[in-house]
Amino acid sequence: MSVTINTKINGRAVSASADASTSLLEFLRDTLEMKGSKLCCNTGECGACTVIYNGKPINSCVTMAADANGAEIITIEGLADGDKLHPVQQAFIDTGAVQCGYCTPGYIISVKALLDRTTKPTAEEIEEAVSGNICRCTGYNKIVDAIHLAAQKLQLR
Amino acid sequence: MEYFEPKTVNEALSVLAEHGAEAKVIAGGTDVMVDIKYKEEPGCLVNIKKLPGMTRIQENGSSLRIGALVTIHELELNPLVREKLPVLWEAAHQFASLQIRNTATLGGNICRASPSGETLAPLLVLEAKGRLAFSDGEKTEPFTSFFQGPGKSVLGTKGLLTEIDVPYPPSGSKSVYLKHAVRGAMDIAMVGVAVLITPDGGKNNMQDVRIGLGAVAPTPVRATKTEALLRGKPLTATLLKEAAALAASESSPISDQRSSAEYRRWIVEALTRRGLEQTWKAATGKEVA
Repeated sequence: MSVTINTKINGRAVSASADASTSLLEFLRDTLEMKGSKLCCNTGECGACTVIYNGKPINSCVTMAADANGAEIITIEGLADGDKLHPVQQAFIDTGAVQCGYCTPGYIISVKALLDRTTKPTAEEIEEAVSGNICRCTGYNKIVDAIHLAAQKLQLR
Repeated sequence: MEYFEPKTVNEALSVLAEHGAEAKVIAGGTDVMVDIKYKEEPGCLVNIKKLPGMTRIQENGSSLRIGALVTIHELELNPLVREKLPVLWEAAHQFASLQIRNTATLGGNICRASPSGETLAPLLVLEAKGRLAFSDGEKTEPFTSFFQGPGKSVLGTKGLLTEIDVPYPPSGSKSVYLKHAVRGAMDIAMVGVAVLITPDGGKNNMQDVRIGLGAVAPTPVRATKTEALLRGKPLTATLLKEAAALAASESSPISDQRSSAEYRRWIVEALTRRGLEQTWKAATGKEVA
């Protein structure tokens, strides 16, 4: 059965229909052709599909697309301002925190959600914020470096 | 697949009454969406996320009433949960990832009726009760008798859990929730043990002891024989050893991809021992004699 979804994605009103069994991730990738959020485990364990849903990071692969109705969603595509990358994106490049890159959009969204809550995260808060994201290249130290760098940049703004 | 977004509990109940066993209730979706992708689509999906009045956490005398749609992260952030129900807070805090905690609901964790449900052993030692809605009326059911097997509860296919009533533990009591998993918080528990000790007035004996075991039987269970062995006594090293072994024998774990049954029994023994030792010290200020 098809449902109509009226939602706001990266500040833009979107209306489209999808089958009731569609996940928010499938809705983004397949219906709206927004391929930035990644499909990986599809069980809510790896974090590659993380988006911000009404201000909170969630796994879009285990969220119903129908629950996007009336919600505000931010995806990786919504972070850069034209050609100017978001400080979290830039920090991932500057510290070399990107290897194969598949987990990167999910990480960047988790980190953005963290730095929206606080620009002075503690080590514990950093660990908590990205504990639901897996990097299979295991480049974790550089990711933590990127988070510190992004936090510094955002404090200076 | 048919799809419903009922606006009231009564509407949800009549959809369930009509569609019965082919209907699946969905709230956060963190389990049901995985079933849809990897197992099979239900004939009918009933999304209860927008039902009104089920997202509150309210103090009611000496208990906390928690709406079934409260998310695990909302529980974790609630100061009353942290102060008055620390054992439930610990389970919420150790529950999967932040992304999952932002979506998964307490009601969903309960109704899934998985033996390894993170909040279940804590709810058992807190002697929490569920408020259940059926088309012929409401009912209150303690969680000690709510679960009937993996994925099965007294709700059957036609009931809805609307609220969880969690009494505050006796004053002076101390509790702990210990979880054993490979990948820290993200992983499903191989074993979860919740312990709550209430000391007597002189802090010499355990006036009350409650032990909840998760992931080691077809449902989460209380280790009632072990509790009876300990009640009214001071915690000595001999008693501690005996109690931990008894708790292990009260469990009936299975072997699966996470661990063997034998290993799970060892862990029950170790976590029960550790949990009792910690809570005894916290509650009485005394070392195990």
